Amino acid sequence: MQTNFTAEQLADPHVAESEKILRRCVHCGFCTATCPTYVTLGNELDSPRGRIYLIKDMLENGRPADAEVVTHIDRCLSCLACVTTCPSGVDYMHLVDHARVHIEKTYKRPLMDRLIRQLLATILPYPKRFRAALLLAKVGRPFAPLLKGFPALKPVAAMLDLAPKGRIKAYDPNHVHPRPPEAKRRGRVAILSGCAQPVLDPGINEAAIRLLTRLGVEVVLPEGEGCCGALVHHMGKEDPALDFARRNVNVWTREIENGGIDAIIITASGCGTTIKDYGHMLRLDPAYADKAARVSALAKDITEYLVTLELPTAEAKGLTVAYHSACSMQHGQKITMAPKTLLKNAGFAVRDPAEGHLCCGSAGTYNIMQPEISAQLKVRKVKNIEATRPDVIATGNIGCMTQIGTGTSIPIVHTVELLDWAYGGPKPENVA
Amino acid sequence: MTLIPNTETDAAYVIRNAAAQGTTLAVCGGDTRSGFGNAVAFEDVLSSRGLSGIVDYDPAEMVMTVKTGTPVTEVEAALAANRQMMAFEPMDHRGIMGTTGEPTIGGVFAANASGPRRFVAGAARDSLLGIRFVNGRGEIIRAGGRVMKNVTGLDLVKLLAGSHGTLGFLTEVTFRVLPVPETAETIVISNLDDAAAARAMAVSMALSVEVSGAAHLPQTVRSRFLGGQLPEGEATVLRLEGLKASVAVRSEKLTSEMSRFGPVSRLGPDDSRRLWQEVRDVTPYAGMPKKPLWRVSIAPSAGHQLVAALRLEAGIDAFYDWQGGLVWMQMEADPEAELLRRYVRGLGGGHATLVRAPERLRLATPAFEPQGDAVAALSARIKLKLDPAGIFSPGKMAGV
Amino acid sequence: MSEAIKFLEPRKNVMSRRRAIIEDLADLLPPECLVHEPRELVPFETDAFVAYRRLPLAVALPKTTEQVAAVMKYCHRYGVPVVPRGAGTSLSGGAIPQEDAVVLGLSKMSRILDVDPANRTATVQAGVTNLSISDAVSPEGFFYAPDPSSQLACTIGGNIGMNSGGAHCLKYGVTTNNLLGVKMVLVDGTVIDLGGKHLDAAGYDLLGLVCGSEGQLGIVTEATVRLIAKPEGARPVLFGFDTSEQAGACVADVIGSGIIPVAIEFMDKPAIEICEAFAHAGYPLDVGALLIIEVEGSEAEMDAMLKSIVEIANRHDVKTVRESQSATEAALIWKGRKSAFGATGRIADYICMDGTVPLGKLSYVLEKTSEIVERFGLRVANVFHAGDGNMHPLILFNANDPEDAARAEEAGNEILKLCVDVGGCLTGEHGVGIEKRDLMRHQYSDTDLNQQMAVRAAFDADWLLNPSKVFPIEGRPAA
Repeated sequence: MQTNFTAEQLADPHVAESEKILRRCVHCGFCTATCPTYVTLGNELDSPRGRIYLIKDMLENGRPADAEVVTHIDRCLSCLACVTTCPSGVDYMHLVDHARVHIEKTYKRPLMDRLIRQLLATILPYPKRFRAALLLAKVGRPFAPLLKGFPALKPVAAMLDLAPKGRIKAYDPNHVHPRPPEAKRRGRVAILSGCAQPVLDPGINEAAIRLLTRLGVEVVLPEGEGCCGALVHHMGKEDPALDFARRNVNVWTREIENGGIDAIIITASGCGTTIKDYGHMLRLDPAYADKAARVSALAKDITEYLVTLELPTAEAKGLTVAYHSACSMQHGQKITMAPKTLLKNAGFAVRDPAEGHLCCGSAGTYNIMQPEISAQLKVRKVKNIEATRPDVIATGNIGCMTQIGTGTSIPIVHTVELLDWAYGGPKPENVA
Repeated sequence: MTLIPNTETDAAYVIRNAAAQGTTLAVCGGDTRSGFGNAVAFEDVLSSRGLSGIVDYDPAEMVMTVKTGTPVTEVEAALAANRQMMAFEPMDHRGIMGTTGEPTIGGVFAANASGPRRFVAGAARDSLLGIRFVNGRGEIIRAGGRVMKNVTGLDLVKLLAGSHGTLGFLTEVTFRVLPVPETAETIVISNLDDAAAARAMAVSMALSVEVSGAAHLPQTVRSRFLGGQLPEGEATVLRLEGLKASVAVRSEKLTSEMSRFGPVSRLGPDDSRRLWQEVRDVTPYAGMPKKPLWRVSIAPSAGHQLVAALRLEAGIDAFYDWQGGLVWMQMEADPEAELLRRYVRGLGGGHATLVRAPERLRLATPAFEPQGDAVAALSARIKLKLDPAGIFSPGKMAGV
Repeated sequence: MSEAIKFLEPRKNVMSRRRAIIEDLADLLPPECLVHEPRELVPFETDAFVAYRRLPLAVALPKTTEQVAAVMKYCHRYGVPVVPRGAGTSLSGGAIPQEDAVVLGLSKMSRILDVDPANRTATVQAGVTNLSISDAVSPEGFFYAPDPSSQLACTIGGNIGMNSGGAHCLKYGVTTNNLLGVKMVLVDGTVIDLGGKHLDAAGYDLLGLVCGSEGQLGIVTEATVRLIAKPEGARPVLFGFDTSEQAGACVADVIGSGIIPVAIEFMDKPAIEICEAFAHAGYPLDVGALLIIEVEGSEAEMDAMLKSIVEIANRHDVKTVRESQSATEAALIWKGRKSAFGATGRIADYICMDGTVPLGKLSYVLEKTSEIVERFGLRVANVFHAGDGNMHPLILFNANDPEDAARAEEAGNEILKLCVDVGGCLTGEHGVGIEKRDLMRHQYSDTDLNQQMAVRAAFDADWLLNPSKVFPIEGRPAA
């Protein structure tokens, strides 16, 4: 596609990168078909091609973001289904990242919007704060219907709806205790503890560590790591996002240089996509560019790592698993076969729900910021999953688990919990 | 007076004159479909008989260009010499219309006359790639072309096909032809009532066996096919065509699937060809000029419902082609047009064309399905755009 | 942006009432169904023919036929042009708006209304994508046959507008051969139904006229299409040749021998490389030309047919023959082919031609095409439906270089004229749109075109529907 940038504009490396991305787009429109918001809303402005055009127009004219552009960019889930679909190889991910930063820098959001975003950015990445907030949410939930009456407060109501209904376990950063490998040592890996996941479901990493240890992999939990930065990154908050990235790069570099690690294992695919992008995010920072690239290269989804270990074939369990591929897994990281191969190999009957390419509507904080679209996507997703009549749903991302879990009575677990069970670990609590 | 121009230029001249003088023309080819459509008041007859001959035929391209007055037999002979055919199986109207004469290729396309394969391979209009015609101003117009894929401009080819000479005088047609299948055979399922036959035909069409003919011949007509050689009882007939290896495999599959509906027998290539020609030409209802004959196009699953409903109120005889979606219906006496058309509307829509009726009834009955106001008005405007003076067979098609 | 092709001058009486028109439309449509903020109009300024762009006056995205009718009635009353839009995937600029036009987008009308296995029909709203029809009827064992390469995204409404084809049309025909009925809104807002679940027209074949009319006769809001039972199996086979001439001659011989495969697709070397890089379909990279020939049926049928085809290919010194061994492999082979245009975007900007030529002229036209493109100092990749002579030379150029873009357009025009001169036509399946409008006189005489325009006027005497398209602006009869 033709672009119109001045040499001066192109001197900014971010603009130069976006220009390169835009030049690849041939405006064929294939991306519209697999975009969750386009198939839901039926408006080109809420499609990748529409957003690309809005961004192009905004950047070419060097204009600050305005309410219209922000509306349509905000509706983007960043599911990246368009990237999978695009035959021309348009790097929509980095284009929309750039647009989000541009919006954050040049646009003043309405007060409530700003407050809610600030609130999320202040709480979610920090496990202790997040747990405290969830306890408060239990108290606040009865007020949710009331809040839905006020448009600006809908996100708050959505937050209350999403908070777990059951007991919220105490957060203990040392809850999982890595142990020396039980079998012949096959490797050494660091595992990301992260932020929200250990609060919502500490069982996931417990299962991953148990399984890896049993398989002869030493698991380390380097001190000082934390949120990967994805949450603020997707809000266009560039500086805090890079701070999170630098902190983790420091921690893992230390570990690489000291004990040496074969991989950085991630059990939440949303985080995986971002950590694999650290190399790109920090490419302009001479002090971090190389280190970040090294970290990104080591980042592996748990299933991506497990398939390299050649697990034995396990007995059939007589259990049908609907595998829900998180967008960050299939589109962000292009991991499509590994989780299913592992589950089948572990004795589960695996089903692919229809419209597997469509997002469930979770998308980080999307289900809080865009509750209406998110709810429609959830209904569609649950309908497709339930049509496969599964005994259990497996997925590789905590966000999807929370989202889909609030829409169905079928138990939903992390893929690694089923694998841990199949290879000698405990049966996941919610699986009947 | 019958005008028989020998060239397209002459035809244009004749038509220009007629337009100038307001002389109405009945357009005809071989005169085998006379009496089709509403009665026309005309002054002169304009015949395509003088325009004859194959202009271009390249078997490797599977395309033929022919002047419209060329006899169908000549076209078919040329095609047969290269083992090719017109996929839409143009029907011969002489039997049911009680006419003699030689059907022309122009008449085939002007009437969009298609046979049993129409429901899978398309109608005459689907094979027609390009035309030349003279409009009502006497201008020579070219539309379409000679390649299979062509979306350049408005598709006047489709518009002229089936317009029965009311929009223009076709002078040349270019159409797609296909290889004659290596072999053909027909599966006969016996003793199914109309409803069961409709179900069986629907099932056969959902199988991946490529049925290319699906007709149901009730007891009343069964004996009038193949000289009475079809097995006793109703006959539901399904045709398979293609490479010998393919037909053998598909025939076995179809037979095994159809056996649950009733006893199954098979007809070989020769009987099969003869049977489908008789279905195509509506042989059972040939030679009965006094009995009104309807051709009803309706959703396949509704065909037998229509017949069942009408049977309670009128003396009718009927058989089905196109999986049940084409009903040939012969009335004992009255055409019962209003009753029939009401039922067609009630069953989801379609159209009933009065193909044959005694003069007195023809004058009283609109031959073509009356259309809604908006569509009728649109059709009338289109007619005006092609034939501003209204000289081509005025009144032949409803309202235009 | 290219300027070689002119649009109609905006109507002054419309431009001066812009505000009022938008306010009136806002009364007819729910707020989420009307786009009018200047910045939000920008993404609607073009379709997949990006060389030309015009901002529309407003964009209406109705959800019902009634809303479409209300908008049409209003626009008719006030003389406001209307440009229909499906998914905006037109390669000929069929959905490019103009300054005084309301874009009528059907993208919110995307429901499948009825699937009727007994009658083998599906009835869908116009904004339903081509592929989702096949997806919806697949559990019943059927598919919808016309398969344009953009079938993932393009809508059935757009397919009807352009009479779209696709790779598998060799056996099953194009849209017009698979369309049974439409619900359509006329220019004055009147709603009519043409056809239905039955075959053939009651009177004039208006359905046949509407199909391929590029949004000039009315707005289709619903369609009933014919379904076909899925074949027992299908097998695409790759045939690699040293030269395009050998491949072209092989195609002619296959067709001439009486074998009609489901599809015969052609790619030249540049196209093979582009598609393989995207799809990793296992296309041979050491050949000069590739044919994808697909046969279908039972295993025995496919074997028999392939045997004959391989014999013919051997006579033309075929270099490699590779049968797909699995459904996944077959899907990749088609993914590569169907993404050819988009994948070309990885290496350059392109314009895609769509002329059709008689089969016997394929080799000649391929050779001439290379000559023409070289003369303009450009590159070309050829990928097309060889079985029916529908060619798609992709002329590669740099869109940020205005001179390069102008040369590409000129080269394209020469190629299309060549197609007409050898007995073919300007467009086989993409439509005339804005792109080929001014070449129409090369294919048709003035009398031919005047007759088409007269028929058009029976539907839209005031040139309100997609008025800058299809027919050359000069010499149009006065409204």
